[in-house]
Amino acid sequence: MGAFQDFTEFVTTSSNWWGDRGIVHRSIEHMRLSGASVLAASVIATPAAMFFGHVKRGGLAAQSIVNVGRAIPSFALLALLFPLSLQWGFGLGFWPTLVALVLLAIPPMFTNAYVGVRDVDPAIVEASRGMGMGERQVLLRVETPIAVPLIITGIRLASVQVVATATLGGLFGFNGLGSYIFEGFAQQNDGKLLTGAVGVALLAIATELVFSFIMRRATPWLAPKRDLDLLPPVPVPL
Amino acid sequence: MSKRFPGSRTPAVQELSLELPSGSLAALVGPSGCGKTTTLKMINRLIEPTSGCIEVQGRNVVEMPLHELRRGIGYVIQQTGLFPHKTIAANIATVPSLLGWGKERVRERTQELVDLVGLDPELLRRYPAELSGGQQQRVGVARALAADPPILLMDEPYSAVDPIVRGRLQDELIALQARVHKTIVLVTHDIDEAIKLADHIAILNVGGVLEQFGPPADLLRAPANEFVANFLGRERALKRMALLRVRDVELVSGPVVEVSASVEESFKVMADHGVDWLGLRDGDRLLGWAWAADLDGVRSLGDIATEPFRAWVRPDTPLREALDLIVDSSTRVAAVFDDEDRYLGMLTIQQIADGMAQ
Amino acid sequence: MSFLGANGPDSLIWWDWVDRHREEIKQATFEHLRLTLIAVAVGFLISGALALVALRYRWTYAPITWITGVLYTIPSLALFVLLVPWTGFTTLTGEIGLVSYTLLILIRNIVAGVDSVPAPVKEAADAMGYRPVRRFFAVDLRLATPTIIAGLRIATVTTIGLVTVTGLIGLGGYGGLINDGIDRTFSTPIVVGAGLSVVMAVTLDVGLAGVERVLTPWARRKVAR
Repeated sequence: MGAFQDFTEFVTTSSNWWGDRGIVHRSIEHMRLSGASVLAASVIATPAAMFFGHVKRGGLAAQSIVNVGRAIPSFALLALLFPLSLQWGFGLGFWPTLVALVLLAIPPMFTNAYVGVRDVDPAIVEASRGMGMGERQVLLRVETPIAVPLIITGIRLASVQVVATATLGGLFGFNGLGSYIFEGFAQQNDGKLLTGAVGVALLAIATELVFSFIMRRATPWLAPKRDLDLLPPVPVPL
Repeated sequence: MSKRFPGSRTPAVQELSLELPSGSLAALVGPSGCGKTTTLKMINRLIEPTSGCIEVQGRNVVEMPLHELRRGIGYVIQQTGLFPHKTIAANIATVPSLLGWGKERVRERTQELVDLVGLDPELLRRYPAELSGGQQQRVGVARALAADPPILLMDEPYSAVDPIVRGRLQDELIALQARVHKTIVLVTHDIDEAIKLADHIAILNVGGVLEQFGPPADLLRAPANEFVANFLGRERALKRMALLRVRDVELVSGPVVEVSASVEESFKVMADHGVDWLGLRDGDRLLGWAWAADLDGVRSLGDIATEPFRAWVRPDTPLREALDLIVDSSTRVAAVFDDEDRYLGMLTIQQIADGMAQ
Repeated sequence: MSFLGANGPDSLIWWDWVDRHREEIKQATFEHLRLTLIAVAVGFLISGALALVALRYRWTYAPITWITGVLYTIPSLALFVLLVPWTGFTTLTGEIGLVSYTLLILIRNIVAGVDSVPAPVKEAADAMGYRPVRRFFAVDLRLATPTIIAGLRIATVTTIGLVTVTGLIGLGGYGGLINDGIDRTFSTPIVVGAGLSVVMAVTLDVGLAGVERVLTPWARRKVAR
């Protein structure tokens, strides 16, 4: 179990925790990039998805977005953006990775929010109109709250994917947890390799747990089958 | 037998003992929670009885191999339970193919059944989702009858279809039963459906308590207690009238004379009956009727222009229908004829009332 | 920069290179497909077995989905890397990771599919005298087919994407092309690898949709009603 010893040795050496290449800084960078990408993507995707879901149009577009999003490998997307970024002078590191991650995060968010709003029971929508609500009120006061579980699920799916893919940014100069993995490959250093892998895995699992907690707090009315909350959601089919 | 579900303090069905006559249709009726469906499902052991014994044709069902028992009992349910992934033909052929019938025999049987339940053979190649609710229900009955089981269990078979279709399906079941004479056990919460279809009705109370068992007309005439009376509802006499037939009451001869009789005799008959009209007959034939005033100055009854009786009924006409005709007629009577149009007698409201009182 | 012009090494895609490396691209396609199919097939077998266990012994469903859920959550690269010190840069490493991703999706879809068979249909089957095992295969599993295939489609498309990542641990496939492109800051192999993996994903997805259509004729006609 030499690799395991290398790992414990690496993480118990305090100098490996601090500084620009330390575990703390890289973890924070990883989270900062992931958070920024998810935030940007949700600002772009969610309102649009809710609008299209409300007017019940654009199903084909939504379907195409999710299919293409699922079919393009995230690794390939990232790999493609870097030559472009270099050509257009954006350089390496944080910003091109962010763009790639935003593009990745949009499809699951869009689909879930779209399906969530579109599939609200038509009887509830009709009753709301019957009580004199305008379109805006129907969307914001009725459809949105009902769609919240699915909207959150979309953000959760996207977030875990973003945390995972941000690792690959290490190939292109982004100084996150993935850097340990690629340094580990290059230097044949199992300690670094495992530090990166374990760090990323823990971060992804923590993301799931945070969202299952958010889900619980945001949807108190969904009392039954709570135990399924902790499970990662599987993409919704359209 | 009894049934107590695990975790339930009170039994769903308690000490129920019933003997259902074979070849006839028995209905289990009662409010929700009365265990009627539980009782039904214990017959084919979809639910196992906790204690007691259920015999089907002299054999204890608990001792029979499960699949053998079930393949010998047809089962029709409200949601039809048709296999969505099989064509109508394949659905109907389910039990025969489980029994290993040959292809040709299955095909012939399917044709027979399609005729029997009144389905368009064109539908055989379709899938259940392509059929209307009423058609699906007919397929459900055909499937249940496929292997010609002596027993048919029906659980709220018509609750999910609209009233017009329901009425038609009920009529079809009556006609079907007249041909096949199965032992049918029908569960329903609709007492009128039970009255219409059943030869015997068992009224169950919450907990599977049997309140009364008997032919519907008996229940309507003499409800055992207030629960049964409430369950049967208002207008019990009218409902019973729908079940009794003209042949069930005594007829009167009425103010009717032979056309060869004298005018004086006619007035005497009218006076005896206390009416101001007269019926004329020629042997078996009833010619019609006339007002007393029309007889003034007539020498022979044959000269009178008679009016036909508007209320014509036969011995198998339900009393309720006869009553409807009587109140609508000028003479306040219904004339009764047999199938060869021979005159049998008169039916009056008094006769109906007397007959109902028996 | 042009897509179609036969310019040079600096364009997004340089067709001359593609032309000269046909054999290599063919090899990568074969490798990619092989890694994908093995992963999905093995994943389907394991999922089928675990789903049967979960359906038969209900209490096992929660722990099974928990464990597969954690495997699904761990980022692919991290999972490959966690295995490398023990199983090395081998196909086995790649397949263990790829298979573990398919499990949650497939198990959930199989169980959900069987669970969604309407109770009256199961009851009617029992009442007509189906024996339990026969009913499970002839009725429950048949009716679960659309959901199971939906799971297979998601699993397959996801796996094709993940196989590109195995390029980073030295396996072939389109990931190898992409990796090569990154190493040399040369976009053509990246574009070829990405494009062909999308083509493969769409092809297999459409193929599986076709299989579903053939296996579920009843669902097809319902739409046309």
